[in-house]
Amino acid sequence: MTLPLQLQKTQAITRRHFFGNAGLGFGAVALQSLLSKNGDAFHENANHQSPSASFRIPAKAKSVIYLHMAGSPSQLDLFENKPALGKLHNTTCPDEYLEGKRFAFIKGVPKMLGPMFKFKQHGETGQWISELFPHLGKVIDDVCVIRSISTEQFNHAPAQLLMQTGNPLLGYPAMGSWVTYGLGSENENLPGFVVLASGGKTPSAGKSLWGSGFLPTIYQGVQCRTDGGDPILFLSDPKGMSRADRRKTLDAINDLNRFQHQAVGDPETLTRISQYELAFKMQVSVPEVMDISKESQEMLDLYGAKPGFISKAESAADPRSLYKGDDPTFANNCLLARRLVESGVRFVQLYDWGWDHHGSSLGESIDETLPIKAKQIDRAIAGLLTDLKQRGKLDETLVVWGGEFGRTPMMQNNVNKELKKGFIGRDHHPHAFTMWMAGAGIKPGVYGQTDDIGYYPTENPVGIRDLQATILHQVGIDPFKFGYPNQGLNQRLIGPTNEGKVLTDILA
Amino acid sequence: MSFQISKHLFVFPLFVVFGLGDILSAEDDMIDFNKVIRPILAKNCFACHGPDEGSREADLRLDLRTAAIDASAIVPANSDGSELIKRVLSDDPDLKMPPPDSGHELTDADIKSLRSWIDSGAKYATHWSFIPPTKKSLPAISDAGWPKHELDHFVLKKLEENKLSPSSAAKKLQLLRRVSLDLTGLPPTIEEADAFVNDASEIAFEKVVDRLLKSDAYGEHWSRMWLDLARYADTKGYEKDRHRDIWRYRDWVIDAFNRDMPYDQFTVEQLAGDLLPNRTSDQILATAFHRNTMTNEEGGTDNEEFRVKAVQDRVDTTAQVWMGLTMGCAKCHSHKYDPISIKDYYSFYAYFNQTQDNDMEGPFWPTPTAELSNKIADAKAAIAELSSKTRQRTGAFKTAFENWKKQFADQPLWGNVSLDSYTSKNGVTLTQNDDGKIIASGKQAEKDTWQLTFELSNAQPKPLPITGFRIEYFPQAKGGGDWPDKNVAIRELTAELVFPDGKTEALKLTNPRATFSQANWPIAKAIDGKKRVGWGLSPKYNEPHIGVFDFQNPILIDKITQGAKLRLTLDQEYGERLLLARSRFSVSHYPANWLKAQLKPNLERVFAEEVNADTQKVFGELKAAQSRLAKLESSVPKTPVMLELDPKNSRETKIHNRGNFLDQGEKVSPAVVEMFGKFPADQPASRLGAARWLTQPENPLTARVMVNRIWARLFGVGIVETEEDFGTQGLPPSHPGLLDWLAVDFRENGWSVKKLLRSIVLSSTYRQSSKMPSGDANVDPRNRLLSRGPRFRLSAEVVRDQALAASGMLSRKIGGPSVMPPQPGGVWKTTYSGEKWKNAIGPDRYRRGLYTYLKRTSPYPAMTTFDAGSGEVCQIRRVRTNTPLQALVTLNDTAFVEAAGALAKKMESLDGDLRTKLTYGFRTVLIRRPTDFEIDRLIDLYNSLKDSLDEAALLKAAGRETGDVQLVAVANVLLNLDETMTKP
Repeated sequence: MTLPLQLQKTQAITRRHFFGNAGLGFGAVALQSLLSKNGDAFHENANHQSPSASFRIPAKAKSVIYLHMAGSPSQLDLFENKPALGKLHNTTCPDEYLEGKRFAFIKGVPKMLGPMFKFKQHGETGQWISELFPHLGKVIDDVCVIRSISTEQFNHAPAQLLMQTGNPLLGYPAMGSWVTYGLGSENENLPGFVVLASGGKTPSAGKSLWGSGFLPTIYQGVQCRTDGGDPILFLSDPKGMSRADRRKTLDAINDLNRFQHQAVGDPETLTRISQYELAFKMQVSVPEVMDISKESQEMLDLYGAKPGFISKAESAADPRSLYKGDDPTFANNCLLARRLVESGVRFVQLYDWGWDHHGSSLGESIDETLPIKAKQIDRAIAGLLTDLKQRGKLDETLVVWGGEFGRTPMMQNNVNKELKKGFIGRDHHPHAFTMWMAGAGIKPGVYGQTDDIGYYPTENPVGIRDLQATILHQVGIDPFKFGYPNQGLNQRLIGPTNEGKVLTDILA
Repeated sequence: MSFQISKHLFVFPLFVVFGLGDILSAEDDMIDFNKVIRPILAKNCFACHGPDEGSREADLRLDLRTAAIDASAIVPANSDGSELIKRVLSDDPDLKMPPPDSGHELTDADIKSLRSWIDSGAKYATHWSFIPPTKKSLPAISDAGWPKHELDHFVLKKLEENKLSPSSAAKKLQLLRRVSLDLTGLPPTIEEADAFVNDASEIAFEKVVDRLLKSDAYGEHWSRMWLDLARYADTKGYEKDRHRDIWRYRDWVIDAFNRDMPYDQFTVEQLAGDLLPNRTSDQILATAFHRNTMTNEEGGTDNEEFRVKAVQDRVDTTAQVWMGLTMGCAKCHSHKYDPISIKDYYSFYAYFNQTQDNDMEGPFWPTPTAELSNKIADAKAAIAELSSKTRQRTGAFKTAFENWKKQFADQPLWGNVSLDSYTSKNGVTLTQNDDGKIIASGKQAEKDTWQLTFELSNAQPKPLPITGFRIEYFPQAKGGGDWPDKNVAIRELTAELVFPDGKTEALKLTNPRATFSQANWPIAKAIDGKKRVGWGLSPKYNEPHIGVFDFQNPILIDKITQGAKLRLTLDQEYGERLLLARSRFSVSHYPANWLKAQLKPNLERVFAEEVNADTQKVFGELKAAQSRLAKLESSVPKTPVMLELDPKNSRETKIHNRGNFLDQGEKVSPAVVEMFGKFPADQPASRLGAARWLTQPENPLTARVMVNRIWARLFGVGIVETEEDFGTQGLPPSHPGLLDWLAVDFRENGWSVKKLLRSIVLSSTYRQSSKMPSGDANVDPRNRLLSRGPRFRLSAEVVRDQALAASGMLSRKIGGPSVMPPQPGGVWKTTYSGEKWKNAIGPDRYRRGLYTYLKRTSPYPAMTTFDAGSGEVCQIRRVRTNTPLQALVTLNDTAFVEAAGALAKKMESLDGDLRTKLTYGFRTVLIRRPTDFEIDRLIDLYNSLKDSLDEAALLKAAGRETGDVQLVAVANVLLNLDETMTKP
């Protein structure tokens, strides 16, 4: 028997699942830093691996903070200043925009809806930003606004899945899972992919948005909860058991497990011992990193954060009517995101629900709800960018903001034919919408343009694959070479075809 | 001699490079195309030079020998002259193959293998798994005493080739725990353990295996494997992800495993049970297998788009589950590695493209449980008996009836009332005939409101209080007039008394009943105070009908004698001329329960039902039985199933270019990929024929894939490790002869899964100890040579079930709707659906994991942490991870803390000292006896926790009021040991 021992051990972890065709080892590199730096069964592999797997390229970003506004905010009321659309306000929509189009809710011939808010130019780049984002306007010179994004999906769940997993169906790994699979985590006491949700509901596509799909479940996003319960499920010891008691029980478990290992010799037993130890450490490290009360008042004010605040909207059956502009839940999550990446978490994903402003029921209008939602995030996001910059972390943290699609320049008309206060809305619009990125080698400015009413891109169109390719590229992964064999395909975040491209124009 | 040289030169470096790990056997002395060459070509070349015409470069394909030779890529016996070799050796980036930017690169060893293969004649071979399996003779072995079963010969042969010997047999209790967890997913009890230890007979273990295979827990455990494949879940998926009632399918699977339904039948019923001749309701239920696809209820979605996705999912899942083939990629382009073209894909798709479902939940089929079916049958029998009883008439009855009936001679049951006056808002003319009928004529108004005032004083021969009134409706044939037969729409009907002085008194109407009411327009709606709907008669408005109302307070005689008249107001403002064009009104003074809505009042029936005590009782029983039946029938679960479209509505199937359902190309007919066997000649070109094609002996894959799957569940890894891919991209089998022997034997044994399992667990291979040699001595680290028994972490469900079983809390109820054991608050924060997780109380809190409610977009966290899936797509195998989050579950999750509480209680209830109690607890979980070290360590822990734990709080968390809290903490430890989490 001549198989080198280390290679055999490498194979010991369901080889195909970890290593696939992409060459031996990168999974183990990731896995190792994700889980533990010593004492586990995978440790020996590290010597055997080539330190840079074939897909690794020089990285700009160490970590990613992705702010997803679930429901999709209106680009026409936030980033796209369209005076021409204003002139068409309340007139019948020209046929050319309706023919052959599928809408989620618009029926018949709707009216055009001009921008509902004033725009102003900000910063040295002179970017037009809506009055709803005064704070963001102050930091806009750090941001690259991409106005020309389009997607293939026009319903929430498939569009969110396409954006986050590269496939409109359920069951594919999230971007955060891909990234931690490729790079691992930098903190042995914390998960590598953390999800924070606000707005009172999880996004339409549910927890599948941070599922690991066909990748091993260790790469699944771990949702850290901020609603007063355990930040990670089952993190607290049972009531009545102190840390000292837990330590005693854990020592007994480990002693008996070591005894078992001597008797049976299974390296998995050693892994289990180290995982129980890691769990014990996480019981302290996670609440610690999640505790924003230690931040200075100045820092809290920068974000608009309030430690310990639990919003009523977070547990309401329909939170939309409870939204308040000064609700700090999202701000708290932004501050947490900074703390998490500072602690070495690779990918922090924020979801904020409540951006689906159709105008068909109370609490989902452009005219009344959008200003509240914008207020909830404006100071928080500006605070996040400012804070990262002050700490010198913006250069190595990629911040991404956006929804799953855009909103129509037409008024949605299935409930109200005419403009009615509190019921002004826009339908889903997949053909052109705005997202932005900041930090980690992204060149600030504006990229892409749309036509006079913001219906179609006219310059530098950007697809979802391009965004995904660019994000992977910035974290040091070649998006074309980075894959995982499943169902007969080399599955990739950017999909099976090479339609995506890295947006080199926006790289510094 | 030359063979050996080539083996050393080429074969050894290869498997290092590929990490195949599968030790090549001595019988493969030559460079084997399938084992060595095909993987190189498939990985590096076929993407551009393979079966997919869409992505083929330079019109060259290397997957066919003739094509490769014709193109001079390969010149047999001349590697130097072969373009393929020149290209792979080239330094010119424009010529080099694979192209440098492809991410692929051949190693020196690859190139050597290719040269050697070309020089020895470049022989191609069909991919191993595409050739039907045959039972080869058992390999010769030296240690003839070791095998207990034929399969052991194959295993031992490979061990001997690798100069290894099998491990010693596992200890009895280790084996018992292993086989119990493997066959039933539950641990043995201490009593079972003692019985086995004390059974000295030769067949003691066989007896255990047979007992386990007979237990209901067997089907529960093995159905879980199948439910992963079936992508079973309790919700519909996508955005709304609302509840779906499909648990009857889950119970069907449990039952099929428990009855050991032959796998070919199991296959046919699930894929095409609805198309079987004389199909049973259970066979239709089986087709819910393919109704586990998701449906999208989000606003504005295109049903056809998601119907197509569901059908594609069925095709992909069928190919994966039965044949281990990844057909999915062929929905967009021809398969790059396996011989499946996009046309093959849509031809197979055509079989599945004819079902009625259309991204909606229906069609449904009533699928009562056996228990419910029995209850319904009992209720029906009782009704039949009672209704025959109601028809019996004794002499005494007849006499009594004749006497009773006499009263109607003086005073009929109903007396017509004459129309005193009327108003019509829209000018309709009403006239009353001598027979009392009121006929509308003149203007045929679209809608109208009438006030009809009736004389009461002459309605009855005797002046008696009036209890109710009746409306008779007549079609034109029975009543005449010039108004055509149309529906009526009495949106609201009110009654009042009008006195001569003009005063009025409202009359409350109750107990509305009619011979017929239109769907959603029941007569009760005519007196509900709301005008939206009322009493309608469609579609039966060309027959006479009767409606009857009671007065809540009868109209007393003195009011009649004062000259009060009855005024009815009929709101008929619906439109479309739905007016009561022919009618008659009558009143009665008899008891309300005598006044039936009957076209021909049946006095004998009234007497029997309402008056005569003996018969009245029987009618009462009948009524109760009927309402019981109605209740039972409405509780019958309805399950979404596969049903074929009416042939006149059948769909045309076309190729979807690049998988886009809006871009359809060439039309295709249903067909199978004939490389895997011809379509059975005597079978219909439907799903049924396709299902039978899967299970015919010519199919090279179906039996192999299933035995491999079962092997993998027992040993942790399949003989073919890539359970999901038996195609050319998959890994070759570690023991090809063993796989084929098992596959053929499975089929020859009538596709019996129980017999297959029995064979495997009774083998010497399975019965080995799982102890691993330490360090370098462990030359078989992944146990791919099967040099020891299997040892790996239990599945998510078994982790839970074992803790509940050991602590004595496990509910043994089988089947039924899924349940909601405790999960932390706030996990279900899902959009829109408003469905809530309600922590179960009582036995449903402690059901097997299999029954835990599975919401696709928010699966049960404790399960997914242990690698259970979410039921979104077919899951061929679960990965096994080992993470800190798992530790948090078993240490802290309520289910496990409560299990610790219950286990502590079991220990407490045993008489004896602490050592005795702890030994008992240890054995309850791990079955074997603890060593001194182990029990001493637990005693130390117990003592160290004295006065340390918060007694009240921890007991409460563990679901206890009083008890020994230190034992709870020790039980928590017992439920968290590595050995507990692991199959021994």
